[in-house]
Amino acid sequence: MAAVATATAAAADDEARLLRLEEQAEHGGGGAWEYLCLVRKLRARRPDPVLRIGLELLNNSSARSRLASEQWTLYEQVAVAAMDCQRLDVAKDCIGVLSKKFPGSARVGRLEALLFEAKGEWADAERAYALILENNPFDQIVHKRKIAIAKAQGDMSLAVEYLNKYLELFMADHDAWRELAEIYVSLQMYKQAAFCYEELILAQPTIPLYHLAYAEVLYTMGGLENLQTARKYYASTIQLTGGKNTRALFGVCLCSAAISQLTKGRNKEEESSELQSLAAEALLKDYKQRAPSKEALITNMLKNMKLS
Amino acid sequence: MTEELVLDTAIRDWVLVPLSVVMVLIGVLRYFVAKLMRSPAASPSPDPKLVKEGQVVVRARHLRTGAQFIPAKAFKSRKVYYTNEENGLLHVPKEEAQKAQAAMFSDPNMAMDMMKKNLSMIVPQTLTFAWVNFFFSGFVAAKIPFPLTLRFRGMLQNGIDLGTVDVSYVSSRSWYFLNLFGLRGLFSLILGEENATDDAQKMMQMGGGFGANPTMSLSAEKDSLDIIQHDWVLPKMEHHAEEVLRKLLKK
Repeated sequence: MAAVATATAAAADDEARLLRLEEQAEHGGGGAWEYLCLVRKLRARRPDPVLRIGLELLNNSSARSRLASEQWTLYEQVAVAAMDCQRLDVAKDCIGVLSKKFPGSARVGRLEALLFEAKGEWADAERAYALILENNPFDQIVHKRKIAIAKAQGDMSLAVEYLNKYLELFMADHDAWRELAEIYVSLQMYKQAAFCYEELILAQPTIPLYHLAYAEVLYTMGGLENLQTARKYYASTIQLTGGKNTRALFGVCLCSAAISQLTKGRNKEEESSELQSLAAEALLKDYKQRAPSKEALITNMLKNMKLS
Repeated sequence: MTEELVLDTAIRDWVLVPLSVVMVLIGVLRYFVAKLMRSPAASPSPDPKLVKEGQVVVRARHLRTGAQFIPAKAFKSRKVYYTNEENGLLHVPKEEAQKAQAAMFSDPNMAMDMMKKNLSMIVPQTLTFAWVNFFFSGFVAAKIPFPLTLRFRGMLQNGIDLGTVDVSYVSSRSWYFLNLFGLRGLFSLILGEENATDDAQKMMQMGGGFGANPTMSLSAEKDSLDIIQHDWVLPKMEHHAEEVLRKLLKK
């Protein structure tokens, strides 16, 4: 737990530094290169400022030559940011410079394919990616791009197929598992989605979001056993977030209501714990503090569920 | 024993200094030769089987460490998926395990790489040693300014078989060895941190390359998965959550 806390603190620290540097660079206060390096290091997606600041740096020939061999990284960064902003002309120029400098490079090839993608020329993009994969069949980024193309075209079943093929080889890539889980949820294939979330919980058991998502999938599937499991995962989300997650609080209430509905008439095998009433209380308190105008709504709802 | 030996200044000018200079130059030369000889393919396409095995091991380790966080049914189905004797991901047939080991030792690429590395290390060393031995063997070349115990005789007076010479005198051949092993710091200054002349590290890498056998780690992972007991912690989580909420409400 302590490790997670320090990690989040460090992340917040970096974020603050990023914003400060961005402010400074935007107003011509220098530190442009430091900002761009930090963006790269944190893998932050801030295309607008990156494009503005990076382009300024590229157009300033003395600043560019001071970067020496680092300028090619800058070209790449600006190209990607430009594609994010739909400034395809800028991206094309940058990639042109790069391909002149590094002919035949796979990294530049990826950028060119990315440009096809940005223009929506799917067939060309796929051909370009296939060419890269021929030389290096284990290029994870290219595999992921192919999945992204399938997704962008709205062909979810193809995306699922690609993702499954990718995960067969790179089965420790939890980002891919998450993507697959989200696609399965959108396709209403809850059983498969539950499997993916289990995999994610295994990989990173301390991230409450996975517990929450897993619980939601289980709740959606329904059935007594699933509901009871879902309630447990909502409870673990509450524990991991310190009771700050409103969704998990609602989830506990809903699960408990659904369970009591299902077991009505039969004698209760599971003695009802205090959890739901505590969750309801916490919800009420939270609403009282942060949204007093909606308090009546929540009281009503809880009354309907016979929780308060 | 206490009689001072007088060392000719010509020894300093013609042995001590030239030897050190030559050693430094050879080190630099070796660095560049090794750079040239290094295989041009910096990142050869990895074996798909190796990639997959590495990923399987990582995923199985996740299952082992996080087992208590998923329901028993999910854990059981995964365990079967990994460890069943027919086509489990972690199951390695016996013949294949042996084959893998044999293949590793007979892999021509690996042997070639190692030979190149060894060549760039051994050939210049033999040559310089022969050169030193031929021209400068058998006399005292320097005196270190502090006394040492007799134990150091083997290190400092290699090539002189006299028991009566004070240990603080250094023979020329020993001077060569001192240079050979002592110049690493200087090289990392001249050639940058990760220079190729770092022999000791290279040796370690070589050992490591042979030690990590992916098939071995697969079966080791399988064994530890086999003995693991599933103990679902989620039921406890409900009580923890209650406590958390109580604390929150009290505030």
